[in-house]
Amino acid sequence: MKKLLLFLCIMLSLTSAFAQGSSEKNADETIVLKMGDNVPDRKNGLGLVIETINTEFEQTYPNVTITTESYNDQPWQEKVRIYATANQLPDVFRYWSFSTLLTPLVEAGMIEELDYEVYSQYEFLPGALEGNMIDGKLYGIPTSSDLWVIYYNKSLFEKAGVEIPTSWDDIMESADAFNDMGIIPMVTDGKDGWPLCELFDNMAQRINGDFTYVAKAQEREMKYTDESFVKTADYIQELVKAGVFQENLTTSDYGDARNAFGQERAAMYMMGSWEMGLANDTNFSENFKENLDVMPFPVVEGGKGKATDTLGWYGGNIVISSNSKIKDVANNYVEKIASDFGQKCWDLQAAFPPVKVQPLETDTHVAKQLLSIAANATTMSGTPGLDRLDNVFKEDHQELMRQLCSLIIDSEEFTTKLDASAQRAYDER
Amino acid sequence: MSNDTNLIYKDNLKERRKKNISKTILMIVLVFIALLQLFPLVWAFSYSIKTSGDLFGPELLSFPKNPQWVNYKTAFVDGKILKYLSNTLSIIIPSVIFGTILPFSLAYATTRMEWKLKPLVWTVVIAGLTVPIHTTLLPNFIWFNKIGLLDSHLGLIICYIAFSMSFNSIIFSGLLSGIPKSMEESAFLEGAPYRVILPSIIAPMAVTGFSTVAIQTFLNHWNEFIMANTYLSTESKRTLPFSLILFDGQYSSNYAVQFACMVLVALPPLILYFAFSSKIMTGVTAGAVKG
Amino acid sequence: MQSQFKDKKVIATLVLPGIIIMLIAIAAPIIISLGLSFVKWTGFGKMKPIGFDNYLRIAKDPIFWKSISNVFILIFVTVFFQNTIAFILAMYLSNIGKKLSNIFRTIYFIPATLSLVVVTKLWVNIFNPSYGLLNKILAQIGLESLQHAWLGNTSTALGSVIWIIIWQGFGWALLFYYSGIVTVPDELREAAKVDGANKFTLYTRIIIPYIMPVIQAIIIIDVTSSLKQMEMIYLSTAGGPGDTTQFLALYLYQRAFKYSEYGYGNAISVIFVILAFTLTILIRKTFAKRLESL
Repeated sequence: MKKLLLFLCIMLSLTSAFAQGSSEKNADETIVLKMGDNVPDRKNGLGLVIETINTEFEQTYPNVTITTESYNDQPWQEKVRIYATANQLPDVFRYWSFSTLLTPLVEAGMIEELDYEVYSQYEFLPGALEGNMIDGKLYGIPTSSDLWVIYYNKSLFEKAGVEIPTSWDDIMESADAFNDMGIIPMVTDGKDGWPLCELFDNMAQRINGDFTYVAKAQEREMKYTDESFVKTADYIQELVKAGVFQENLTTSDYGDARNAFGQERAAMYMMGSWEMGLANDTNFSENFKENLDVMPFPVVEGGKGKATDTLGWYGGNIVISSNSKIKDVANNYVEKIASDFGQKCWDLQAAFPPVKVQPLETDTHVAKQLLSIAANATTMSGTPGLDRLDNVFKEDHQELMRQLCSLIIDSEEFTTKLDASAQRAYDER
Repeated sequence: MSNDTNLIYKDNLKERRKKNISKTILMIVLVFIALLQLFPLVWAFSYSIKTSGDLFGPELLSFPKNPQWVNYKTAFVDGKILKYLSNTLSIIIPSVIFGTILPFSLAYATTRMEWKLKPLVWTVVIAGLTVPIHTTLLPNFIWFNKIGLLDSHLGLIICYIAFSMSFNSIIFSGLLSGIPKSMEESAFLEGAPYRVILPSIIAPMAVTGFSTVAIQTFLNHWNEFIMANTYLSTESKRTLPFSLILFDGQYSSNYAVQFACMVLVALPPLILYFAFSSKIMTGVTAGAVKG
Repeated sequence: MQSQFKDKKVIATLVLPGIIIMLIAIAAPIIISLGLSFVKWTGFGKMKPIGFDNYLRIAKDPIFWKSISNVFILIFVTVFFQNTIAFILAMYLSNIGKKLSNIFRTIYFIPATLSLVVVTKLWVNIFNPSYGLLNKILAQIGLESLQHAWLGNTSTALGSVIWIIIWQGFGWALLFYYSGIVTVPDELREAAKVDGANKFTLYTRIIIPYIMPVIQAIIIIDVTSSLKQMEMIYLSTAGGPGDTTQFLALYLYQRAFKYSEYGYGNAISVIFVILAFTLTILIRKTFAKRLESL
């Protein structure tokens, strides 16, 4: 019997040797910089920019190898939470500065503080670094400045004989014209929920004229059951009922929405400025790219908000894990991002960077439009509403938006539940 | 011909006609279900050789004049099919081997031998059947990290074996309980020890169980993705189903390539299945049926 | 009784490797999980002990109850519909000659060999409202009015998800029944025929009792796999729209990993394990009256 046991032991150790044999063994002098982000497409847009920077970094530091791990937003957040629990965060990673996501990690002492003096010498836009400061300490640098806008396809508007809308009421009226032609008027990523929350914040501002209402509701200075929020929820449901969005809005994901628009199945695409890379995405036809344009989030007739009031924030922050054993390398890398990322982004027209950029002759039409939207902005919202309280509130907000948009709950139930969740989050602080 | 025989003849004819009709209906139903199982696969294949733009056409099923075989090349190279396939195999082979041997030994000891803790161990085994993988994800992540099993194939192998222990032991126990005790008793008389009796006398009697259990374990773990997704982070260690999900992100705007990758991932078990289908057909359930 | 049957060394060698692996990968996490169900914890940072609060919260959580009811709907559908259809088909297949039945069985089992990820992706695409197969078929046969966002509509999402589960699981049930039915000894059938049994009584009196162990095995598999159903929904609707397709295993995963309510997620999984264990025992008890083995 001992022999059998021995045999089993040998087999097990053989298996483990076999299993481990496939992992890379690093030569002594090679340093591996582990990196993670939420940009899985490495051949276009942002992913391409990151890959270019990584290659350059490896050329400057030949003893460093960068390994990357990329997921879509939601799986990436789940993965980071698991890594955090096991104290296994990658050396450098891209995460969100919002209190729901970065703050808990900072509070648990998992994020390395960055030297504000060093990073403030790069040309970040005003407020860009400040958004990543917690108790006066800098914890990450932003890689994009995000504006909430609507991309549209001019040729589909012409085909349907519809004027470019200036208000949501125009959009609602034109929904039938598009639907009759088998074209979806507007798509967005409803499965992940957060785009619907942006819609809510932005729509509320268009109705009540003030971005700070959301902040006030969260600070409990007013309530989510306020009349203007109820109206907003009603208005969004009216849009859904009028057939403005894709039929499977709350179960179709980012890729679905983006493809429907890129393959000219949808006339409008509500998303952030980081999608400016659509204008040179190799997956889509020339015809699409020629007809691509972008407009600010429209107004609501009779509402108090202007089209120049912009829902915008800084996002996609690069942070260093305080558990990293190669913090100096990590810091060099982050500095490289701080100095090069913005311009590279702009050169490739991949995303709207958080640094000052010079408009170029070669800028795509969409890029020019976005620059003008940013330049003409009369007010800016700052951090989106769903990201200011805690994580449970964030998930509640997204879930409630999905239910609202699936017409499962009405505006009254929606605002009551949202208010209850905000109250709970506030109480637990 | 008398009236009587005529009547009988007519009756037979009626019955035969009735039988024919019901046979045709039956055939139609069977073929319809077969189509239901097959058509989606053919459809997926047809999409995999189109361009992404073609997908939105109105036709049900069409094969393009210029099949885009390049989609397969992209999927094969960028999806790192070979690498992930070899990873999957290096996990699945030990899992299947130990996932059958260990339950067999356990089932033998619990069905045929006499010991005090037997009922307790057997309850643990039954309880194991009911534990959801998802409950174990985070605790295991924390504690695998402490004992160095995280991000290793060994960690996954241990989980896969653990999660096949219960079901497989139950199947073996059903088979083993039917064997008369005299089998071992006569062997004992000849002085044969257990390490001879088990592989040479008992195991052959449970051979159907081995194929059932091995095939089931293989199919289950071939498909497993949530544990692989949670425990593995190094890119070079990932497994096949997991790669499909990553690939989706990478090629989120190229549906046709996604379809090609899907076909490639589906292919290896399909090939195995067709190669061994007759054996699988009998082997897959034989153990359970007798159990 | 031979002393060899009580040889402690042999028993230890046979039992320990398997049990140790189960302890490492299943029992240990369950115990950790039980402990963590009494705290409020985001997965990192400080833990706050809160006694039975998580359990009290479960009682009042409508999504939890929704996910339980969905699990029971799924169990009901698989146990009754899938099994009945699989049984009837198996019955016919055992009567149409070996060659034909082989062909059909081979085809019917194909979906079961496919990876869950592939199956899910495939059906998500089939159900897609803009380029999916199903809506195209409806358009071709003039039923445009039935076109749907199958997974996106509250009234069809659950049905569509269950359909995917059955599409893949059906082959297993069929195969089990078929193998069961063909093992019924011919003498038993003959004897029944001599006694004047018609087809119906042949099946209810002879064949079904004979294959009881198979039925039990299938039902236990159906129940436990319905309870554990997660990956497919995670990859298709993620529980939506709303909580229409929320299932227990997915819900506990989401609470732990999406909401970062790790303690609460663990409390749900403790309840889950208790529920699954009770159901399994119940099924075994019900069947135990009919058979001694297993």
